[in-house]
Amino acid sequence: MKRIKLKIAALSFVAMIITFLVPGTLAYYTTSGKATNVVTSGNIKMMIHETTDQGTAFPEEGVYIVPGDVVSKEVRVENICDHPFYLRVKIVYGVDSIELSADDCFKLNINSEHWALHDGWYYYRGIVTPGEKTPYVFSHVEIVGSKVDNRYLGKTLSLSVQAQAVQSENNPIEDGNTFTASGWPTEQGGTP
Amino acid sequence: MKKCLSLILVVLILMTSALPIAAAESHVTYSGNSGDFIFEPGSKESPTDLFPDFKGVMPGDVLTQKITVKNQADNKVKVKIYLRALGAHGDSRDFLSRLRLQVQTSVDNKMAYMFDSTADATAQLTEWYCLGTLYSGGKVNLDVTLTVPVELENIYQSQAGYLDWEFRVEEFSVEDDDPKPPPTGEEPFPIIWVVLIGVTGFVLILLLILRKKRQDQEEEA
Repeated sequence: MKRIKLKIAALSFVAMIITFLVPGTLAYYTTSGKATNVVTSGNIKMMIHETTDQGTAFPEEGVYIVPGDVVSKEVRVENICDHPFYLRVKIVYGVDSIELSADDCFKLNINSEHWALHDGWYYYRGIVTPGEKTPYVFSHVEIVGSKVDNRYLGKTLSLSVQAQAVQSENNPIEDGNTFTASGWPTEQGGTP
Repeated sequence: MKKCLSLILVVLILMTSALPIAAAESHVTYSGNSGDFIFEPGSKESPTDLFPDFKGVMPGDVLTQKITVKNQADNKVKVKIYLRALGAHGDSRDFLSRLRLQVQTSVDNKMAYMFDSTADATAQLTEWYCLGTLYSGGKVNLDVTLTVPVELENIYQSQAGYLDWEFRVEEFSVEDDDPKPPPTGEEPFPIIWVVLIGVTGFVLILLLILRKKRQDQEEEA
């Protein structure tokens, strides 16, 4: 019995020696490391600028008007994200009276060189690149004297600008018409 | 002459501006001695981020991130490097499940992807996948392709998806028939250790023999 134990011990030692002398038989070390990888998605952001011809911000509280007035109001849109986009704007008129309509009360000098009307929206004829500010959509608003009669006395007329943008990357258009881009919201006031 | 110079300058400026922006390459480096891996370049979202080219992705994007896995252990060892995916973090699963991720080695693009699934999954990389056996200075290049569906909804704007990969290394000593790595100037494996092992073994066997003789003598007595 003791002889067998002795043999086992000797064989174990020989195996140990062989293990040491024959490199590559066993791994020396193992170690591991974890990488936390991150995918982030981009976004589309813009800012509407409304200024006067003096370069000052158009007053938020509005201005007093009388029929025939021509009010300076320049509307531009700035790309404030890292991605280029197509852009469209809509001008919405309102009046604080259910009996009256604000339609036809305003006359705008639309910058048709850069903006094309299609289905009620003015589409910018190009791509707005990051940091770029578009040419003005319009710069003056005329209060149409023949429409704004005494019924509008003391009322508040409003003119608001809605803007929507859709990415131009991976989004081809047909014949240079930006309204053919994919992704425009189907509902008014939505976000692309 | 001035016109000519101006023309050359304009052409040079145009050529410079037309150069593509170099894609950021990532590195996974093993420095040896069972040390930590070094993951570069990292990002503001994660110091071990290997996806610098997958930032601000947009619907319709198909992007490729190149990752180089390097063995910078010394010349005495070769390493087997393994990779497995641990999946997406809990709050990232929804976003990442919309994206497709494919991983393959650069050297043989004809091979099947080692990973081809939604980005949140572990899929084919649930178990360890051996990227190869690397000698000192050796490397393996991975191409990771991210596909963002063009129909990705607006709710996924400005999202961040976190997914973990784990690398594992096994060190082996270099064998005689292995390719010879370039010399590093370090001392070779000291022969003294071999001698010590031999002497120790001899002494141990001697002690065992003496012990056996003594026991035999005791039994005879």
